[in-house]
Amino acid sequence: MDDNKQEATPDISAFLASAIHDMKNSISILIKFLNSSITELEPEAQRRAAPMLYEAQRVNDNLIQMLAIYKVGNQFYPFDLTENSIDDFVHGIVEQNESLLSYLGIELNLDFDDELTWYFDRELVTGVISHALGNASRYNKGKLKLSVKEEEGELVIRVEDNGGGFPASVIEAGDAVRKGVNFSSGGTGLGLYFSSMVAKLHKNRDKTGSMSLENGGEYGGGCFILRLP
Amino acid sequence: MFVSDDINAAFIGKYFLIVDDFQGMRTLMREMLKTFGVKNIDTVTNGLEAIASLEKNKYDVVLCDFNLGTGKNGQQILEEAKHRDLVGLSTAWVIITAEKTADMVFGAAEYMPDDYILKPVNEATMRSRLEKVIARKAVLANIEKAMRAKNHARVVALCDELMVSSKTSATELLRIKTGTLLAMGQYDQAKQVFEQILAKRDIPWAKTGLGKVAYYKNDMDRSRQLFREVINQNPAYLEAHDWLAKCHEAAGELEEAQRVLVRSTELSPHSVLRQKNLGELAHKRGDMETAEKAFRRTIKLGEFSVHKSPGAYLGLAKVCSSKNNPAEALQILKNVTKEFESSETAMHAKVVEGLVYREAGDHINAGKISKEVAELVRADDNKGNPGMMLEAAQLFLATGNKEAAENLAKSVVRNNHENTELLAQVSELYNQAGFQDIGQALVNKSKQEVIELNNRGVVMAKEGKLDEAIKLLSDARTMLPNNKRIMINLVNMAILSMRQSGRNDYLMQLSRECVEQVAKLDRQEEWCAQVRAALDAIPATE
Repeated sequence: MDDNKQEATPDISAFLASAIHDMKNSISILIKFLNSSITELEPEAQRRAAPMLYEAQRVNDNLIQMLAIYKVGNQFYPFDLTENSIDDFVHGIVEQNESLLSYLGIELNLDFDDELTWYFDRELVTGVISHALGNASRYNKGKLKLSVKEEEGELVIRVEDNGGGFPASVIEAGDAVRKGVNFSSGGTGLGLYFSSMVAKLHKNRDKTGSMSLENGGEYGGGCFILRLP
Repeated sequence: MFVSDDINAAFIGKYFLIVDDFQGMRTLMREMLKTFGVKNIDTVTNGLEAIASLEKNKYDVVLCDFNLGTGKNGQQILEEAKHRDLVGLSTAWVIITAEKTADMVFGAAEYMPDDYILKPVNEATMRSRLEKVIARKAVLANIEKAMRAKNHARVVALCDELMVSSKTSATELLRIKTGTLLAMGQYDQAKQVFEQILAKRDIPWAKTGLGKVAYYKNDMDRSRQLFREVINQNPAYLEAHDWLAKCHEAAGELEEAQRVLVRSTELSPHSVLRQKNLGELAHKRGDMETAEKAFRRTIKLGEFSVHKSPGAYLGLAKVCSSKNNPAEALQILKNVTKEFESSETAMHAKVVEGLVYREAGDHINAGKISKEVAELVRADDNKGNPGMMLEAAQLFLATGNKEAAENLAKSVVRNNHENTELLAQVSELYNQAGFQDIGQALVNKSKQEVIELNNRGVVMAKEGKLDEAIKLLSDARTMLPNNKRIMINLVNMAILSMRQSGRNDYLMQLSRECVEQVAKLDRQEEWCAQVRAALDAIPATE
């Protein structure tokens, strides 16, 4: 006989969206506060304080990613495919990330065609690339490169660093996510899943976007690549 | 981006309106705008104040917070401003929001903001987004003028002209151009533009546009397929849902239509119009539970909206009545006459009141109201909307007021003799009251009368007796003020007459009245645009 009186496990997804929103607000206040406090420090103190900003940024990225994944999964995400100027897009990304990079003393080189425009959901792709830059800022030896180019009818966005490259397990996890294989690789899982989801949302006729991780590239370190048709 | 020595060039001389309920945000935005060099800034705290400012002043940019506490939200202010023509194409409307929603991005084109900026706002983003939107909008001032003058052909010409010179506004110009072509009934031209866009890239609005063309050309399978494709690729694309529901409803697939509407109300939980559509459709299907919920929500959401309308109240009253709750139905009807001070609403509420009494078995009150309605209909000269007229006829039949029912039914048929759906409804009304033969005969006879009258006019005109034909049809129009066919023939004759004997104030006036009335009855009438152009082209006589 069924025990009808037993309380059902609460469906946490009902609270998820609003709780994430709330946390996002708190974190963005925290980030603002950290930024204005760190700016006033001496360069060496800035470098030591920068990890606080990095960690807060990471929490913020995770929340944004979870919210987007939740909405896309429930088919609520207003996927907004519009024509964006690459010049604007790159500068937006730089503005979002420049304070952290400068505190860490990292040099960010840009390589893009400023006349180029492309169709994509600006918010999602900005989320993906900012996250990739954040990651790269942790595993490099002082040099990053963001390049945005058209190659064979696709927009190719690369985030490269001069660090030791991705460990084999991360490259494998990247491949698994891209191929849609089930994955459970802890910390890197969410970001990879999000990036791959955003890539796949971008379709043009019979072509679909893709995300991949490589080692090598121009700086010999890790290389995150997003391709949008 | 701007090749200019002054980095604030884009902002010089611009008028801004800031709408935000928080003092802190208003100050922050004002300070930001000042650093961009903006001098003319008004700030208001809520929807009422915003509308009052928009009534008095013309702004280049409105920066409007989405969530404004009680009262209208930012989207509702935008809807009222557009609906009442307080802002035109060249005013940039930017919504500041914590989260972008399907409504803002994919809602009905006529109520979409020009941009949205996500919170928290920072100065650099604000500056670059505003520069962009100002540049985009500056191009559109002349198009706005042509639109206000209802000069569709000029709008299209301006779009073509500007597309050559302005790259920033290309997408917007294409959207305005295709939207105007559709309104003119130039479906093939619109189709051509959509196909050119789609040849390069799959873009949801262009594919939705192609679906609309198929819909207007009565190619229902194709249009349904196109809207479905858009939704498959972009599940939150609201406009395609709206149109897909329309397709299903037109094809009589009401259950499917309801499913699509339910989904679209989930995607845009603040939309008054979609809730109302859902309520009406569910009511038509006899799904009283869904109808009740939707109508209640429509009323609640509509409280501060320009889309607040008596329809949801009347619908809810009917639902309550069929759920054996006449007391609430009557209360709602009392409220609706108070909330909306229009004679048409009062009359419609009275009709529904009679039907509520009738359904509750209160024949005395039903009979009393039936007589009152008969008086109102006579005084109103049969000018009400056909839906209400049919309900009044239903009340008359149910209360044994056969003569009034017959007069009204005749009037509906004569005014709409080519509207097969409506004619079927008239017959059905008589069937349900148990008078099959009478209903069918009435419909056939009244329809035949109008056709003969019309034909007489056309024959006269062909025999060269234009003046007589015009007299005949303009008399007919006085009796049948909503008959499209009569108005169309009348105007065609008037134009012919003026081409032969010169411009004539009386005929000009008569023609313009008819065109506007036809446009009101059927917004998509291709004929209207052509006639407006033909009337404009008739030279003045010395």
